[in-house]
Amino acid sequence: MRLLVVEDDSLISRSLTQALTSLGNTVETFSTYRTAKEAIHQGAFDLLLLDLGLPDGDGLGLLEEMRERGDSTPVLILTARDNLDDRVRGLDLGADDYLAKPFQLAELEARVRALLRRSQQRTENLLRLGPLMFDPATGAASLDGCALSLPHRERLLVESLLVHAGNIVPRETLESRLFGFGEVGSNALEVYVSRVRKRLKGSGLRIRTFRGLGYRLEEEQG
Amino acid sequence: MIVVTGSLKRRMAAWLLVTVIGLGALLMIEAWVSSRQAADRAFDAQLEAAALSISEAVQWQDGRPEVVIPVSALQILATSSQERVFYAVLDSQERRLSSNWEVTIPQALRDSVRKAPLETALHTAYGELRVYGREVSAPGWVSQEPVQVWVGHTLGGRQTLALTLFKQAVSRFLAMVLLAGVLMALTIRVALMPLRRLRHQLRLREADDMRPLDAEVPKEMHELVQTLDQLFTRQREGREVLLRFTADASHQLKTPLAGLQTISELALRSSDPGQWRAALEEVHGSAERTSRLAGQLLSLARLRHLDDAPQRQRVELCGLMRDVALEWAGRDEANRHDLGLDTLPTQPLWVEAEAWALRELIGNVIDNALRYTPAGSSITLGLRREENEGCLTIRDDGPGVPEEQLERLCRPFERLGRQGTEGSGLGMAIVDSIARRLGGHLKVANLSPSGLVVELRLRLAEEEAS
Amino acid sequence: MTALRISLAATVLLAIGLASTWLVVERPKGSVPPPSKLVIAAALDEAVVAPLLEAFGRAYPHIQFEYRDRSSLEVDRSVTEGNPPDVVISSAMPWQMAQVNAGLARRLDSEEILNWPEWAKWRDEVFGFTFEPIVMAYHLELSRHVLPPETHADLLELLDSRQNLLRGRVVTYSPFNSGIGYTLFQQDARYSSRFWDLVTSMGRVETEALENTQRMLEGIDSGRYWLGYNLLGSYALVYAQEHPNVIVQIPTDYSLVMMRMVFVHRDAPHPAAATTFVNFLLSEEGQGVLAGQTPMFSIRPGIKGPYTAARLLGQVGDRLYPIPINASLLAFVDPARREAFIEHWRQAFSGDREAVDERHE
Repeated sequence: MRLLVVEDDSLISRSLTQALTSLGNTVETFSTYRTAKEAIHQGAFDLLLLDLGLPDGDGLGLLEEMRERGDSTPVLILTARDNLDDRVRGLDLGADDYLAKPFQLAELEARVRALLRRSQQRTENLLRLGPLMFDPATGAASLDGCALSLPHRERLLVESLLVHAGNIVPRETLESRLFGFGEVGSNALEVYVSRVRKRLKGSGLRIRTFRGLGYRLEEEQG
Repeated sequence: MIVVTGSLKRRMAAWLLVTVIGLGALLMIEAWVSSRQAADRAFDAQLEAAALSISEAVQWQDGRPEVVIPVSALQILATSSQERVFYAVLDSQERRLSSNWEVTIPQALRDSVRKAPLETALHTAYGELRVYGREVSAPGWVSQEPVQVWVGHTLGGRQTLALTLFKQAVSRFLAMVLLAGVLMALTIRVALMPLRRLRHQLRLREADDMRPLDAEVPKEMHELVQTLDQLFTRQREGREVLLRFTADASHQLKTPLAGLQTISELALRSSDPGQWRAALEEVHGSAERTSRLAGQLLSLARLRHLDDAPQRQRVELCGLMRDVALEWAGRDEANRHDLGLDTLPTQPLWVEAEAWALRELIGNVIDNALRYTPAGSSITLGLRREENEGCLTIRDDGPGVPEEQLERLCRPFERLGRQGTEGSGLGMAIVDSIARRLGGHLKVANLSPSGLVVELRLRLAEEEAS
Repeated sequence: MTALRISLAATVLLAIGLASTWLVVERPKGSVPPPSKLVIAAALDEAVVAPLLEAFGRAYPHIQFEYRDRSSLEVDRSVTEGNPPDVVISSAMPWQMAQVNAGLARRLDSEEILNWPEWAKWRDEVFGFTFEPIVMAYHLELSRHVLPPETHADLLELLDSRQNLLRGRVVTYSPFNSGIGYTLFQQDARYSSRFWDLVTSMGRVETEALENTQRMLEGIDSGRYWLGYNLLGSYALVYAQEHPNVIVQIPTDYSLVMMRMVFVHRDAPHPAAATTFVNFLLSEEGQGVLAGQTPMFSIRPGIKGPYTAARLLGQVGDRLYPIPINASLLAFVDPARREAFIEHWRQAFSGDREAVDERHE
C-alpha cells in the first residue's frame, strides 16, 4: 500500500515511517502544506495521514481542497489539538478517522489497518476479516476457504459484524437488521450470536459482547 | 451593561439647566406681574394725588361748586413719560364744571365713585386710559351738592416703567443664574476631585499591582473603592491560584522527566541489551504518562481559566452516554476491562449543557476507572431520571478509595495512596471543574462491598415538544 | 479682535445704509415725486419767517406749500375745523398743548426728532423750535429820569413810586386777545405772589395792553411809551440794534422763555411733506437759518449764528425760565380757570382791591 504522511515533526514522522513500513507499506513523508499539496495532486495514495498544525497552513484546508476535487482517498487526521470542535470539523470535511497526539503506535497501526481494509473492501467489494470472507452481492460466506452455508438471520448478523469489523456494532443496529422493527425478545439476538460463535470456534475469530452496548467481531489476541 | 453616555458634568449641567429654565419661567412670570403692579401703583398714586389736588380747588359759591384747575394738579401728571392727561370735574347733574375731556364717564363708574374712589381702565376715543375718580362733598354752611373729580392718563409710562422693572428683574435673575452656574461649576469640580484623584491613582498603578487602593474618598465613593478593592483581591487570589497551579504542574512534569533521565542514564552505562530493553520499556511507559499528564494539565488549566461563558445547548443524555460508552469500549485501553452500559431510560433526557464538556467528564471518569482498577474489573455506566434531574453514574467494582481521602479526591495532584498506579492525579480535578462549569452536582462514594461510584446530577431542561 | 472688526464693519455698513436712506427720503433730488401742496397754518409773521420758508423751498423744490399767517387763536380754531392744515405752528403754547393732548398730532420718528432736546418736545408729537426770552424794554428818555428797572420788583417799585411820571407811558401784552400775553401772565402769576400787585400798579398808571410786540416796540421807539413789559425778546433785541432809543432789559431776577411749537396734524392730507417740513425746521439747516436770518433764537445745539439759545444762555445764564412744554400747560386753557384769571386781572387792573383780595387765596 502507498501511504502519504504529512507531518512537520521529524521525530514523529520518522517513527511513523518506520512503523508503517514494517507493515509492508510504502511511506512518503512531507513536512509542509505546499509540498504535500503537490504530492497529492500527482500521485495516487491509498491513505493519507494528515497533521493539522503545519508550519505554512492548516491541514484541514488540504483535506477540504481534496474532497472538493472529488478525491476520496481515506484520510486519518493526527493532531495535538484535542479540541472537539476540530475533530468534528475534520470529520465533517470528510476525514475518515481522527487520532489525537500523543498516541500509541499500536492504536495507530490498528486504525491504519482498518482504514486500509475498508479502502480495499471498497475496491474488491468483498468483506473479509482474517479467514472469514463475505460477498454482500451474493450473500456467500466462506471460512478458511470453505463455504459456509448460513441461514438468513445468521448471514445478516455476519454481514453486519463484518462491515464494522474491529468496531462495536450497537445491539440496536443488529436487532433492526435481523428482525426489522417488530417486537423482539431480549434474548433473541443473543441466540443468533451464540450460533455464529459456534461456527467461528477455532477459526481465530470471536464475537465479543459489550454489556448494554453491542458486539464486536475481532481476531483473537496472541 | 451600564450605559451612561456623556460626561457626569454635562449631565449635572443639563439637569441644572432644566431646573433653572423651569424655575426661571416661573420667576419671569412673577416678575412681569409684579412689575406691572408696581408700575400701576406708582402711576395710580400720581392720579390720586392729582385728583386730590383738583378736589381741594373746588369751592362753593352760594351752594354752587366752582373750580379753578390748579396747575400743580397737572404738574403732578406731567411726568417724564409725557402721558396725555385728561381731567373732568362734574357736578351732580353731570355737567362739566371743568374738563378737557370729551368722554362720557359710564353711569356705573359714576355710581360706584359715590361710595368710594376708584381706579380703572377705560377705553376711550383717546385710546386706552387709566382713570381715577373720586367724589368731593366738602362740609359747608349751606347745602352742598357733591362734585366728582375724574383724572386719567395714557398708559405709556406704566408700560415703560413695567418694562424697565421687568428688565431689571431679568438682569438680576440672569446675573444670579450666571453666578450660580459659575459656583456650580466650581462645586462640581471640587466634588469630582476625589474621583479624579482616584482615576489618577488607578492610572499610575502597575498592571500587576493588586494591593488594595489606599485612597481617602468621600462616603459616597466608599462602595466604589471597596468594590475595586474586592476586585483586586479576587484578581490577586486568581493569580495566586494560577501561580500555585503552574508551580504544581511544573513539579508534576519534572518528576517523571527526572525519572526518565535517571533510567536512560543507567541504561547508557550498561552494556547489557536486556537492561537496555527493560529501561526502554520504562522510558516508554513514563513518556506516555508524562504526555497524558501534559494533556490533562492543559485541559484543567483551560477549564479553570476559560474566559468565555459556557455555550450551552440542548443535549440528549441517553444518546450521549451510549456514544461515549461505545467509544471507550472500543478502545484498546478498555480491552482488559468489562466496560458496559446499564439499561437506559426509554424517554430521552434533555439538559442544557456543552456536549464536549460532558464527554470529557465521562471520559475522564472512565479513564480513571480503567487506570485505578485491576484488569477484569467491570465498569458500568448508568443513567436515570430523578425528578427533574438527570443522574449519570460511572461505577466500578475496584478497590475504591479510603473514606478519609474521598474529600480530597477532586483536588489537583492528589493521587492519594495510589502512587503506584499510573496516573497523574488530575483526572478527578478535571471532572470536578467540568461539573462546576456545567452547574452539576458531583458526588464520589465507595460502594459496598467494594468499588467506587461517581455520580453527576444535572438539572433537566424544560420539557419541549422538540 | 475679529468680532470687533466685524462689528466695526457692520457699523460702517449701517452708517452707509442710513446715509443712503436719508438721502433718498430727505433729499430725493434724483427722482421727482408728484407735487403736493403742503398747508402750514402759523401764528408767526410771514415776513419774519420768510428766510426759513425760502430755504425750505430751495431744499425741497418739489414740495409746494401754502403758508397761512393767522393769529394764534385762529390757528387754534383751524386745527379742529374741517380741512385741517398739515403743519400747525403757534406760540400759544397751552393751546398747542391741549390739541396735542387731545391726540390731534402725529407722532414723528426721525433722527432729528430723536435727538431733539427733551425739554423742547412732548411725546415726539409737538416741538418747540424757537427760544424767545421775555424782556422789558424802555425808551432812552426813561433813564434820564429814573434808574431803569432790572427786576420785576424794580418795576413794581418804579410803577408805585413814579405814578405821575409813568401814567400812560407803560405798555404791555394784552392778556385778553393774545394767547402769548395770557400765557406769559399766567406763568408770571405762578412765579410770584406779588404779581397781582404789579397788575394793580400797572392799572393805576393806566398801562396800555397791546397784542403785538412789534407795535409795542414802535411805540417805545417813537417815545409814545417809555416802558414796556413782557415783550418778545427775539423781536426786541433785533429791533434795539437798529433803534438806539430802545433799550432792552432782560430781567435779572427771572426771564420767561417762550417757544414756538410745531406739530403735524393727525389728519394731515400730506403727512410725508409735513414731516419733511418739521424735520427741516429742526434740522441743522433750518435751525441755522433761524439763528442767522430771523430774530428767533434757535434751539438745536451746535448751531452757529447770532441768535442761538446757547449764546443767550451764555450771556444771561440761569435766569432764563422756559415755559415748560408739559401737561401743566393744560391748566391755562381750562375755560373756568381762564375766565377766573381774566376776571381777576380786570379787577386788579381796575383797582378793585376788595375783589382782588377776595380772589387771592
